[in-house]
Amino acid sequence: MKSLARIWTIAMNTLREAVRNKLLYALLFFGVAVILAGVVLSALSYVESERILQDFGFAAIRLFSVAIAIFVGVTLIHREVERRTVYAILSKPLSRAEFLLGKYVGLLVTIWLQMAIMVVFFVAVSLVTGAPLDAGHAAAFALIAAELAVIVAVATFFSAFTTPMLASFFSIGIWALGHMTRDLRDIGASSISESVQSTTALIHRVMPDLESFNFATEAAHGLAFAASDVWLPLLYGVGYVSVLLVAAIGIFERRDLR
Amino acid sequence: MQQHERRIVRIENIVKDFRPGFGLRVKRVLHGISLDVNDGEIFGFVGPNGSGKTTTLKVLMGLIRATSGEATILGHSVTETAFRREIGFLPENPYFYSHLTGREILGFFAKLSGVTRGRRKARISELLEWVGLDHAADSRLETYSKGMLQRLGIAQALVHDPRVVFLDEPMSGLDPIGRVEIRDLVLRLRSEGKTVFMNTHILHDVEMLCDRVAIIVEGRIRYQGVIEDLVGSGLHEVDIVAANLSPETVLELEDRLAAKLRGVGERVEIRVAEKEVNDTLRCVLAAGGEVVSVTRHRVSLESFFLSTVEGGSEIGE
Repeated sequence: MKSLARIWTIAMNTLREAVRNKLLYALLFFGVAVILAGVVLSALSYVESERILQDFGFAAIRLFSVAIAIFVGVTLIHREVERRTVYAILSKPLSRAEFLLGKYVGLLVTIWLQMAIMVVFFVAVSLVTGAPLDAGHAAAFALIAAELAVIVAVATFFSAFTTPMLASFFSIGIWALGHMTRDLRDIGASSISESVQSTTALIHRVMPDLESFNFATEAAHGLAFAASDVWLPLLYGVGYVSVLLVAAIGIFERRDLR
Repeated sequence: MQQHERRIVRIENIVKDFRPGFGLRVKRVLHGISLDVNDGEIFGFVGPNGSGKTTTLKVLMGLIRATSGEATILGHSVTETAFRREIGFLPENPYFYSHLTGREILGFFAKLSGVTRGRRKARISELLEWVGLDHAADSRLETYSKGMLQRLGIAQALVHDPRVVFLDEPMSGLDPIGRVEIRDLVLRLRSEGKTVFMNTHILHDVEMLCDRVAIIVEGRIRYQGVIEDLVGSGLHEVDIVAANLSPETVLELEDRLAAKLRGVGERVEIRVAEKEVNDTLRCVLAAGGEVVSVTRHRVSLESFFLSTVEGGSEIGE
């Protein structure tokens, strides 16, 4: 219980620090601007203008939330070590695992809050233009939130042992690859080479399958879906985040903070 | 009380190797150092820059792991976490979150240290007053001077009322007034019965504050003991003040005695080794001079430190 209190203290301080980050506001501003610009773009189309509006909105929420998650996440641990704020903190009765988990939770709450602001604009724009809103949209937002949890964990993992520059490259690379692993696996499966088949299958298993969190098309088109289409990816997300955080803690605990 | 029961900090044969870059080359920073800190004392850990002081302190704070050896605080291995309720730490040139106010940062550290909600507010106000920051309690840290940050650093180290306090270069970069303020705070810690471990290279402060010292040079402990013994263990010198000596006589004395002379005319100060006092007095009187005073010169910590650093040999307790 006391451990949770310490994690929460670090998390709330991380949130407080993040909301003072001007970069976050700049990205949030552009995210909201793109959602609003969707109204203009959809008005140019004679067909499926509501779908275009919502596709645009979903894309804006995902892209700008991921950008914030990576650019704030990669400095998360590194900056604490570089600025030596971590020295006084870790001299308190707080384990490195609690510190890292607190930083992760704090950034995730920050990202989810800014996502919530964009969702509010998305809903408002949909209501104003008469675009439909149903359970599919709620499922899509929940899965975007899960994808962000994975991306923040990826950024936190790299931040635990490398510089922000390298962590940015790795995180962006994994995000891009994570959206391609399914296609890669399917293309590999049709190859005649067994090594290509096994390599693409391995990449799909090891890398996060971020397309499993993409429910925007189903939501925007009002397609029917099963509950397992949502909770299975959510479960996958929880598992992937857990593995990444355990690995990050393992590395951070062994690290000399010079 | 038995000696081992009084030991608050124990370092035994600590070795620390770093591997710079990606190569296989290993750089040894600490060469098997051992030392003890006793209950209620102010212990000065002295050494030139790069001698291994901060590395030792980081090993004690669990920020880096020793390659071999053992370090304990209050009987607990430094790799443990829970016992840190009993210790406070001021890092060198402390940096805290600049977006917080003095009161907020102390609240943050108090929560992490497990200070109960009921006690927290009163303890923070008490500490802010104690370190003289009550007037700036609600200002953001980005407006604080270096001395104010140093005092805030001491306050965060004490927020949970620890038994042992570790200070890394507490006077570093402070102006004379700031140094006096920090010195007074350290003395108040001792009067409250706390044990203080202080890393420093400012010898004047060590001489004024510390009960015992250890001198570390190039990762090896060269001396460990009480200051009085330390300054008494060097060669004794004697200051002789003579009068009525002509400049020619002074030059002649300088040649004959190989002694250090200061001043010409009415008063001349001559510093000689103890064994040369009688010869020197005879020379002065023979040259028609007058002996005004003869006093034993106390070897300063600074001269002892310099001879230890330059000497290279290990000096035991």
